[in-house]
Amino acid sequence: MTLEEAQHAMFPQAGVFKAQPLDLTTDQMHQVEKLAGLPARSVRWRLFSAWQGDVLLGYVVADDVVGKYELISYAVGLLPDASVHQIEILAYRESHGFEIRNAAWRKQFIGKTAQSGLAVGDGIANISGASLSANHVTDGVRRIAAVVQVALPTLKK
Amino acid sequence: MKRRAQPWLGTLVDISIAGTSSEPDLNDVFTQAFAQIATVHRLMSFHASDSDVTRINRAAVGSTIEIDPHTMKVLELALALASASASVFNICCASQLVRWALLPSNETELPAFDGGTCALRIVDAVSVSKTRPVMIDLGGIAKGYAVDQAIAALHHAGVVSACVNAGGDLRVLGETPFPITIRHPQAITQAGAELELANAALATSATYFSRRSVGGVSVSALVDGRNGAAITSERSVSVIAPSCMVADALTKIVLASGNANHALLADFEASAFII
Repeated sequence: MTLEEAQHAMFPQAGVFKAQPLDLTTDQMHQVEKLAGLPARSVRWRLFSAWQGDVLLGYVVADDVVGKYELISYAVGLLPDASVHQIEILAYRESHGFEIRNAAWRKQFIGKTAQSGLAVGDGIANISGASLSANHVTDGVRRIAAVVQVALPTLKK
Repeated sequence: MKRRAQPWLGTLVDISIAGTSSEPDLNDVFTQAFAQIATVHRLMSFHASDSDVTRINRAAVGSTIEIDPHTMKVLELALALASASASVFNICCASQLVRWALLPSNETELPAFDGGTCALRIVDAVSVSKTRPVMIDLGGIAKGYAVDQAIAALHHAGVVSACVNAGGDLRVLGETPFPITIRHPQAITQAGAELELANAALATSATYFSRRSVGGVSVSALVDGRNGAAITSERSVSVIAPSCMVADALTKIVLASGNANHALLADFEASAFII
């Protein structure tokens, strides 16, 4: 899923998404750490505001997290009061890669779209195994909620 | 094929919908399916302070707790499986997971592990009573139920071919097969098996992500319900069954027993394999 697709999925009524990159001050970084109970990690945040005409519907913040096994890009949609509205995973990659044993076998599923509606695109869909924890993403969401809450007074100007 | 993923149930939930429906309609369909997952998360989370699970865990012994019909469905199967497996499957193991720091808790006094019959009794369609101190966790069964609910929502919305995967517990809707890869338990970046799945569920349990050493003792997120010991096997168990809740729960019984031909499998029209 692209960031644009995620923006529209989160705020289908929005006509315009305005890029409003955030640069936190040192003081704001401290506030974020206090609110989230996590290191603020970054000064700069990729933030977009969602508008229907001149009505603010909310914000979308894009971020990446790196875990022991995974690299995840995700977007968080927040309402104008900085409460979390929706989270979408944009991209997921295993940090050590994943080896396909039988590429030929998998290939037979590609391109069946017309007949059966089935096509397996890039990336490895549908691995069954032990559940990998999503702690990195949930921590990231909590941090972003704090970032937007701390930045709200400046965002509304 | 459209794919969306969101974080729920402590892991990533991935929904693939095959077909040619137009984009705005599919957005609604995804929303409906994820809403089902969100409901299960809200009701059965061990972490949330107002979930049914937390209310049961905090309730006083002897009290009756009102729960949602969804939670009741999961508890009914959990208690039936506990009874049928002589407590190999046991939702009353959460205090062990808290001791091993695999689940968080603010409680100062953890209930002792109790391998006997479950300390919960079903009173009626919407309530259970608590007969002894106990801390339950539905982590071994609720993901499967959430997948089933999402599949039902997709079916209800007219989707004919889809796959819902909640952190490795998945189900395929429709007769068109999906290619499924099972992670190799001893080489986790490799495929241990590949198969096609249609109109069925597949769940896998293993300890490669949760195994760790606590005070020199090897522990994991999977507990043998008979004695409270951590399962630290390096094998992985996969179960294919008509429903994902059944597949999810049966993996624990096969893993703890080491028996891929466990008698309970046939009772649920399920089959298992160990890698």
